[in-house]
Amino acid sequence: MSDFSGMEDLLQDFLVEAGDLLSGVDNKLVDLERAPNDTGLLNDIFRGFHTIKGGAGFLNAAELVTLCHLTENLFDKLRNGELEITPEVMDVILSSTGAVRDMFGYLEQGVQPGAADPHLIENLRLAIAGSLSHEVAAQPAPEPVRAAAPLRAVAAAPAPVAPSATEPDWNVLFETVTGTAVAAPTPAGVPSAPVVMHQSDDELAHKSPEQIIKAAVGRRVTDKPGASGPVGRRDSEKQRDNSIRVDTARLDQVLNLSGEIGLTKNRLNALRSDILNGRNDTETLHALDLAVSQLDLLVSDLQNAVMKTRMQPIGRLFQKYPRIARDLARNLGKDVELVLSGEETEIDKTMIEDLSDPIIHLIRNAVDHGVEETQERLANGKPEKSNVRLEARQEGDHIVILVADDGRGMNAERLRAKAVEKGLITDEEANTMDERQSFNLVFLPGFSMASQISDVSGRGVGMDVVRTNIQKLNGSIEIRSSMGKGTTFIISLPLTLAILPVLLVRLGEQPFAVPLSMVREILPIEPAEVQEVGGRATMVVRGEVLPIMPLSSLLGWDPVQTPEYGVLMQSAEQSFILAIDSFAGREDAVIKSLDDFRPKGVAGVTTLSNGQIVLILDMKELLGALGDSRGGVSRRALLAAMDVPALAA
Amino acid sequence: MSDPKMKFLVVDDFSTMRRIVRNLLKELGFTNVDEAEDGQIALQKLNSLPFDFVVTDWNMPNMDGLTLLQNIRATPSLKHLPVLMITAEAKKENIIAAAQAGASGYIVKPFTAATLSEKLEKIFEKMGKKAA
Repeated sequence: MSDFSGMEDLLQDFLVEAGDLLSGVDNKLVDLERAPNDTGLLNDIFRGFHTIKGGAGFLNAAELVTLCHLTENLFDKLRNGELEITPEVMDVILSSTGAVRDMFGYLEQGVQPGAADPHLIENLRLAIAGSLSHEVAAQPAPEPVRAAAPLRAVAAAPAPVAPSATEPDWNVLFETVTGTAVAAPTPAGVPSAPVVMHQSDDELAHKSPEQIIKAAVGRRVTDKPGASGPVGRRDSEKQRDNSIRVDTARLDQVLNLSGEIGLTKNRLNALRSDILNGRNDTETLHALDLAVSQLDLLVSDLQNAVMKTRMQPIGRLFQKYPRIARDLARNLGKDVELVLSGEETEIDKTMIEDLSDPIIHLIRNAVDHGVEETQERLANGKPEKSNVRLEARQEGDHIVILVADDGRGMNAERLRAKAVEKGLITDEEANTMDERQSFNLVFLPGFSMASQISDVSGRGVGMDVVRTNIQKLNGSIEIRSSMGKGTTFIISLPLTLAILPVLLVRLGEQPFAVPLSMVREILPIEPAEVQEVGGRATMVVRGEVLPIMPLSSLLGWDPVQTPEYGVLMQSAEQSFILAIDSFAGREDAVIKSLDDFRPKGVAGVTTLSNGQIVLILDMKELLGALGDSRGGVSRRALLAAMDVPALAA
Repeated sequence: MSDPKMKFLVVDDFSTMRRIVRNLLKELGFTNVDEAEDGQIALQKLNSLPFDFVVTDWNMPNMDGLTLLQNIRATPSLKHLPVLMITAEAKKENIIAAAQAGASGYIVKPFTAATLSEKLEKIFEKMGKKAA
């Protein structure tokens, strides 16, 4: 059961908004480390905690209120110049934002968060009192078992907003303010905030030590919320994913356009009855033509406007990275600044969510592997501090995201040697690889350059997942690197997933659509140029030997005619030539998914302008299906048997 | 005195909070509610549209609630408006500052519909007395 029945909507709103706010705070904290006396920053952070506290109060999240309240008090003193930021204070502040985020994790599952780590609360109080010494901050967190006693002591100690201190004055002041006497000190006349604070202290004191330990232990960073949480997590996550914040101006545009479409529809209705009544003079037909073209224009405008409501600035994703980069760099003893740019670039909301992990991984890689150790940098005459750039920009109908470091760069030769050593490629394969292909070796499953596995990266899982995830979004990733200067990962993504540019190909008379993102080029298949290598038909394209795969055999159809054209397709695993009979052009397909019935190798369907329904092929699945369904028969043997006679004919 | 058609302006930079206040007002039967994100936007709205009641947060960017209150009291066309201040603090100096600036009431987060109703009633009562 959720602790928030009746408040789910409010909770979702709060989590989305407060989550953004906290990310903003995190970023400002990174800035604050560089400019500790910036009053503007201090004020903004103060307000962030203050606002979260206010919202949390309405959710009865007393522990979150307490934590935010203490942190806010600390910032109040910092902004008033009563306290100064020391590295120790900074650490306390950072663990406090971490604890707030953990509490959001509980709220997301519909669970009231328990008390924050007593050690953190203690440190916050000490920091506010200005007596946080280095030793205190560095003191390890108390053992969970012993945590119960100090927590009780803290709970019993008067909080800065001790209800007892402010309550007696309240009624007097209330009278002063409102000019009305509080008739009698009725309980209802007492403002509820102190009451809630009070309750929380009481509750705390009445909790069994086990509950407290559970709450304290449950707050470990490594302890992802969810293990002990209720099953409600998925649902609430879903709810959160499904809501989107849209600029009202954009919604108004959608509304306007649908209004205009309504008007045009009325016009068409009128024209229809005219025409059905036998009016078909030039004037009527002209009016019809006009109305239809207007509708055409309006509908495409509406499609664009609706698509825009799904677009979100990528900055919302970017803003959580500086903190991650900072923590990582600190962990590794490096000085790295993550420089963001192009935060205003807009991208489809679903993509923002799916990009989160791949980008984290790239940043980790840049900080861990890309950037050299401090000594190495200094020895090479580089500044001690390194910059990792995270950039987004729109290029035509694509979004480009860069993760670039100014580190040591990638060594193609070493990459090849490592891949051979790990048995991922053969010596011969290594010898034929150019620089770009060598860099791409890092995307192979099981590849890792780190000789020692660090906490941060080096487990060899990841880069292949990064590429798979990007490809799921119909995007691509490539690497540019120059020794001693740094490495850049370039992610290229379509603007939206709703529209897929496709190439229409024909097999006999039947058209099929293949994603244009995989198509590199189109070439004629000259039977004379088809060679047989290892029993399979191949063609040499600019020195590269590529297998020819007839679409007919991929689909399991009998070839009707000799394929005339080849489409050079490049997928994650391989490049190949798809042999087809003819072309029908390219089109921006609106994908309709086949929810209930989805044959293998078919990504969905689309309707052509002439009303014809076309299957959109999922090449990866088709290739996979070939391997699976034919069991022991090797692809090589199968292809040789099928297409050599066909091509020779 | 409490006319359900009264037009409220809810001022807060945190949209969740605006929604909370809006819902509480709705519970009390007040459905004519507009919102503003900070003191500046609130002042613009107050100067261009008629309102009967202002409920404002204290701590906001651009212009905080106290400055908004001072501005309202300094504007002849607005100075009669009841202003209920909302804040997360029950600090003496805040309350005194609000009283000095001419706040009609002061309410501390978090509050329930009942608390809000009570504060509103008090303000209406006072306004009724004045009008009488």
